[in-house]
Amino acid sequence: MRRYVVRRLLLLVPVLLGVSVIIFMVLHLSPGDPAEIMLGSQATQADLERLRAELGLNEPLHVQYVHWLGLVARGDLGRSIWMKRPVLGEVLGRFKATLILTGAGLVLSTVIGLALGIASAVRPNSLLDRLSAVASLFGASMPVFWLGIVLMVIFALWLGWLPASGMFAPYGGGDLWDLLVHLALPAVTLAAASVTIIARLTRSTMLETLGQDYIRTARAKGVVERAVVLRHGLKNALIPIVTVVGVQAGYLLGGAVLTETVFAWPGVGTLMVQGILARDFPLVQGCVLVVALSFVLINLVVDLLYAWLDPRIRYE
Amino acid sequence: MRIGVVWRALVVAMIGLVAPVVSAWAQPAGTLLVGLVAEPVNLDPAQVTDLNSNRVGRRIVETLVTFPEESTQVVPGLAESWTISKDGLRYTFKLRRGVTFHDGTPFNAEAVKFSIERQIDPEHPFNKLGKYPFANYFFGNVKAVEVVDPATVEFVLKEPRASFLTILTSAAASIVSPTAVKKFGADYALQPVGTGPFKYAAWDRGQRVVLEKNPSYWRHPVKIERVVYRPIVEGQARLTELLTGSLDLIVDVPPDFVTQVESSPKATLQKQVGAHVWYLGINNQRNPFDDKRVRQALNYAVNKEAIVRDVLKGTGSLSRGPVLPATWGADSGLKPYPYDPERAKKLLAEAGYPSGFSTTLWVPESGSGMQSPVPMSTVIQSNLKAVGVSVILQTMEWGAYLAKLRTKEQELFALSWMAGNEDPDMVMYPLLHSSQWTPAGPNRALYKNERFDELLQQARLTTDQGKRAGLYREAQRILVDDPPWIFIDHEIQTAALAKRVQGFKLHPSFDLRVETISLK
Repeated sequence: MRRYVVRRLLLLVPVLLGVSVIIFMVLHLSPGDPAEIMLGSQATQADLERLRAELGLNEPLHVQYVHWLGLVARGDLGRSIWMKRPVLGEVLGRFKATLILTGAGLVLSTVIGLALGIASAVRPNSLLDRLSAVASLFGASMPVFWLGIVLMVIFALWLGWLPASGMFAPYGGGDLWDLLVHLALPAVTLAAASVTIIARLTRSTMLETLGQDYIRTARAKGVVERAVVLRHGLKNALIPIVTVVGVQAGYLLGGAVLTETVFAWPGVGTLMVQGILARDFPLVQGCVLVVALSFVLINLVVDLLYAWLDPRIRYE
Repeated sequence: MRIGVVWRALVVAMIGLVAPVVSAWAQPAGTLLVGLVAEPVNLDPAQVTDLNSNRVGRRIVETLVTFPEESTQVVPGLAESWTISKDGLRYTFKLRRGVTFHDGTPFNAEAVKFSIERQIDPEHPFNKLGKYPFANYFFGNVKAVEVVDPATVEFVLKEPRASFLTILTSAAASIVSPTAVKKFGADYALQPVGTGPFKYAAWDRGQRVVLEKNPSYWRHPVKIERVVYRPIVEGQARLTELLTGSLDLIVDVPPDFVTQVESSPKATLQKQVGAHVWYLGINNQRNPFDDKRVRQALNYAVNKEAIVRDVLKGTGSLSRGPVLPATWGADSGLKPYPYDPERAKKLLAEAGYPSGFSTTLWVPESGSGMQSPVPMSTVIQSNLKAVGVSVILQTMEWGAYLAKLRTKEQELFALSWMAGNEDPDMVMYPLLHSSQWTPAGPNRALYKNERFDELLQQARLTTDQGKRAGLYREAQRILVDDPPWIFIDHEIQTAALAKRVQGFKLHPSFDLRVETISLK
């Protein structure tokens, strides 16, 4: 088991290298460069040349890449071209906010998705099941930015129950309650699409599991229904559900970009968008590396969960 | 049935979601909350090129000369008075005495010299700290900055430039505390120290920048304790925060929300035309646009009133040329091209295109000062179609767009210029003088008119403002007859204010002067 984990962690190196090469190429080969964007429409050719030289953009691509890699190897992601600040601190600071938002979105979507899915499976074709099917269709088809704005208009503008944007009150505030109140709308927005996916999958796997012989045996020997559903049913249905929750975790990290923008959430998503628009190469590379790293780690955790959930699964 | 448990959990979860959780949020007394469109990049005015950074940074640092409350005419700032030598090469400034930077460093001629030289002298010990993107554009013409005595400083120019005083109002010409630059090094850009009405206090990345009042501000007492700037990209979010009392002031109200603000009892809308011009550039060197009748025809064909009214919802004022109307250099006799498709067709026929032609229009999806580029260009496209010119619209991302304009392959292109001041030299020379053709300069229309070039050059060498105005008026009349672009509009800036905000005025320079505000 330990050897397996170590091997998986070692595999991170080539994965991240590959990611960094791809993102480096995509950024450098797309038209426009940081000098162009910093100087804007007032730029003169002479100013552009000077700034490009100062930023080292005239070096051949592979030289720039190796230089950057050298920095990364020493644990330094460089300085942002655009903000002048060290990238590592900037990205980690913002990543915390993204983790809070993604974590809240994942908890919400898993809890509600499981509950809805189980309820639908236990009583297939009931009113709840049908409502949940309709809601699923709705949830899966609503774009995040639209849902976010609708929720904002209803709960912030019309009802005045929740703040419209930000992570904390603009001045003062800063405690846990302040955070939770600000988290509510973005977390629900982010969770909406995932809830439906988790709920539908839970329903179908639970239906299948509840039709198994050992469930009938359990019922026949008089096990209470709750234990039948949760201990005998759910536990055996969990493997595909955990897989899909893992995929959703990755999806939520990506979906957070839009949600963060709508709600002015100070996460890594908004930072990355600004970085891309400014062609801030070190900044975007830093953001992508951190997100890719967490994606790979989530996958690892999911794989390890399999073994814990189903003792028949072993890693050697 | 045991499912009751699940049901109960569900209901509790739902209630948790929608329960009214009105926080105990109260507006802090004396704190002004401002919503910006984007987060400032950094706060060293010599290093930033975007509006949001300047709107915050310029509260902290000041310039030798500045603009009064309602115009962009040059008035004393940190300098009390100045003289210009006869040959226009020496500008001597008498500095205000008794002013200190926020860190206690005295403001003097040495500080002025330091602030400018760190940008233009590659040997200066602090030159390598920043990139100073506009150093060459603004100060390339400065030969030396000389300290005459602690309260007198002299700028020596390489060649006369009548707009030099206006250049000294730009953010890049801000005077910084030398002590602070030496102490903070590259991090100075994150915690600037100046002489302005507010001092830097805190910056939570992605969330807010906080400035505290400078209790000993030399110009006037500041009536609020602090300003908190929040970056909120989404227009609806910005507006909601204002209408729910979580913000006091927002700028750039999206055109579609203008009526909503105007009808709200909780907010007031303010408008102010800015020193900006939005134009549809034409490649003057390409066939068929090298015939001025074609360019005139395009100007007649476009319904600018409709664009301003329906797309911009009144947040634009019709443009007759590059110079802002009602400023000293503008020709008040100039009329905007009327919307006259018949006249356009006639001109096209005279030029040899009775059945029109096809062309391509490049449009950025967004960009600094671009207002609503795609909807505006779509109207232009249909207007041109009506006179027989069929236009293919190509939209691009801003960075890619700027790069593409350097290729000189443009036919028609949408662009804007935010001069931020009313000096005609600062808009006409870079955009239309033939020495400024792209890629060397920003004349992307590749416009060339010899008489126009001559007038602009002559005006640069003339220090008398009355005489300069005469030269510029003639130049503007040339631009009407031999149009380089389709003139569209000058942006009308918008701000929405909460009722408790008193004493605020939007400024034509696009600056956001919150130091005049008091809170009820």
